[in-house]
Amino acid sequence: MLKLITYLLQQGVATAKNICPDLAEGVIGLPMLTDAPCQSGCTACVEVCPTDAISVFNIDDANHVRLDLGACIGCGYCVDVCPTGTIKNNPTTRVAVRTREELILTTAGAAAEAANKELVTQGRTAAAKIPTADSLSKASWFGRSVAARVVSTGCSACDMELGAAGNPIFDMERFGVHIVASPRFADALIVTGPVSKGMQEALVSCYGAMSSPRVVIALGTCAISGGVHKGGYAEANGVDNILPVNVYIPGCPPHPWSIIHGILLAMGKEHLALAKKK
Amino acid sequence: MKLERQQTPFHELHDILDHALSKSSDKRVGLLTSITGGEIATLLLSPKDGTAELMVTAVENNKYSSFSTHHAQFHWFERALFDFFGIVPEGHPRFKHLLLHDQYAQDFFPLRKIDLPTDFRNALPRRYEFLEVKGEGVYELPVGPIHAGVIEPGHFRFSCFGETIVNLEIRLGWVHRGVEKRLTEVPWQKAHFVAEAAASDTALANAFAHAIAIESILDLEITERAQYLRTIALEIERLAVHIIDVGGIGTDIGLLGISSAMGRLRGKALALADLISGSRFLRGFIFPGGVRPVSERKLSEIKAGVIALKKDLTPVIQMLSDNQMATERMKDIGKLSKSLAAEFGMVGIIGKACGIDCDTRRQFQQGKYPELAPEPSIEIGGDILARTAVRVGEIWSSLKTIETLVDNCPHGEEKVTVPEMLPANATGLGIVEATRGELIHLIFTDEDGKICRYAIKDPSFDNWTAISIAIRDNLIADFPLCNKSMALSYSGNDL
Repeated sequence: MLKLITYLLQQGVATAKNICPDLAEGVIGLPMLTDAPCQSGCTACVEVCPTDAISVFNIDDANHVRLDLGACIGCGYCVDVCPTGTIKNNPTTRVAVRTREELILTTAGAAAEAANKELVTQGRTAAAKIPTADSLSKASWFGRSVAARVVSTGCSACDMELGAAGNPIFDMERFGVHIVASPRFADALIVTGPVSKGMQEALVSCYGAMSSPRVVIALGTCAISGGVHKGGYAEANGVDNILPVNVYIPGCPPHPWSIIHGILLAMGKEHLALAKKK
Repeated sequence: MKLERQQTPFHELHDILDHALSKSSDKRVGLLTSITGGEIATLLLSPKDGTAELMVTAVENNKYSSFSTHHAQFHWFERALFDFFGIVPEGHPRFKHLLLHDQYAQDFFPLRKIDLPTDFRNALPRRYEFLEVKGEGVYELPVGPIHAGVIEPGHFRFSCFGETIVNLEIRLGWVHRGVEKRLTEVPWQKAHFVAEAAASDTALANAFAHAIAIESILDLEITERAQYLRTIALEIERLAVHIIDVGGIGTDIGLLGISSAMGRLRGKALALADLISGSRFLRGFIFPGGVRPVSERKLSEIKAGVIALKKDLTPVIQMLSDNQMATERMKDIGKLSKSLAAEFGMVGIIGKACGIDCDTRRQFQQGKYPELAPEPSIEIGGDILARTAVRVGEIWSSLKTIETLVDNCPHGEEKVTVPEMLPANATGLGIVEATRGELIHLIFTDEDGKICRYAIKDPSFDNWTAISIAIRDNLIADFPLCNKSMALSYSGNDL
């Protein structure tokens, strides 16, 4: 035991001081759209996309791209094939958002808004009865600390990255984030995976066992839209078909920094995730 | 490996299995499934010469006489066969649904392609009945599906007498997402992304097995460089998972210093993954035809990273193995005998910890294996200590193997051109030694060259039963540690 303590002291502080820095060069993040005009008639990105997250449409004879980060698994293949640089790798780890709409990017701006909204509701199961979200009148309800319950319903890559977010390097506990073992004393419900039929009942009871106010965080592409599993017989179409979602963290799996960014967003402390300049 | 579908009648199949699974034979069952619902397909592996044979047997009246009564290894395969195809294995000793729960309609068999016989009724209720242990003082303890920590869902039903576990029944299927069906629905060129989503920490091994199976159907030779890079990536994945699993042993014993150190060092293994593929989980790196390009500079950084990691790991692992309290917590707990492990067809870490040489890297063609396969890490204890020792042994051998592979990796192209169409009525097999053990992908194409059935056998599918056996007559307080020492995948099992 003494040896272990000596070793740990020798290792010093491993925790990163720079919060949510950009990804290192060569690391694949989520794609982003740039101002570079899309090449007319080109559909290279649409063809390689494994989850139909990209569509190409025409406004006034100009080719435009719509990119749904909520469906994107971040494979980076579209970035590789884009001839004009319209789609680029986005090195930022601050990718979490509060609404599903914010995850849908287009190069057409306001002209495409209506179609974007439609896309949000498209995959929803008509019969689903989603409980109304708790009203969070004070943005700072969880400003000092948040106790989070995690329900895993997928391949568990997001669980592992969430676990990594708690390791000495990322150390999310310093922001007051605790993972708890019961919904009874949880403020936030973090859901990973697409919530297929087998887990739907268990997830709803978990949410029901939490006291208000509570927030729901959809962690990862599967939790947001079902990802590669969307539309199958197991109804693995994402959390917001079942529960009201307050924060979406895209990525497959999201980087531990992105997870921390999402939780900070849920706490109303996203300003802490503004990376300091080196 | 490209396979022929050998039409085999039932009486012959029974004889073949009896012979192949007898004690004198070294053959083992890869998997048992169906293609359309009108037949059963049995994959028999010969580890000694690295070959496999596939027997296809027509099923009459939608039922056959169960193999589980003679060969225990089939017991989950046959339950899954019923779940997905509705074929009834008559006389199965514990016949109930495995992966599809109450939410599914009574006659719903998602992978079945042909109509059910008109007089067929599914007599098996969807409602799950656990095995009940009777006796004064015996009580049941249900755990899950949602667990206390950040892990995947599963339900454990313990029947206990005092603090001793009399019986453990495991119910899985909570994260069944329909992966096998989805693999037949997407264009095959994009199927590798779906294969990767089968299980997170086995993403690369799944993509690898997928690529081997597809390339065998296409008779496609990939470049030597790609073979090296694939093998390096496979060992990086193994390294990352083993490091966190050994750290998890520290967590469950109460040595939090060990687990936090291992958590940090796993980050270094993931950085190697980032270097080779740009993804911490090696996603999108392997695809049929090759791998993503990797620069020489990155390769030399990987080698430097491996050498540094070896140095960092040595003191931490030493502290765990020198710790007498840790050793006593692990010794003779969760013990599995070699004979039961062999009978139930245990693979990977669990088999190796019982003295079974089941490392497929030394048996079946995968990347640069068996040519450059490391010495297997084998223990005989069968307990938690043995399983941890196997993991530690594999950490060292993976580190060494990556170094050798990087040193010998030739220059050249990373990928070759892949034809647009798959051949008709072909069968391809990919076997990869994933972190947890033997991972099998079996692909069938139809007369149009489309994938009509895609079967995945995750090593956890064989091994889940091992926990039930090993934990019997142990204390309930030892379950978490025993469970951690096996570290099985729920999502890979449920698919």
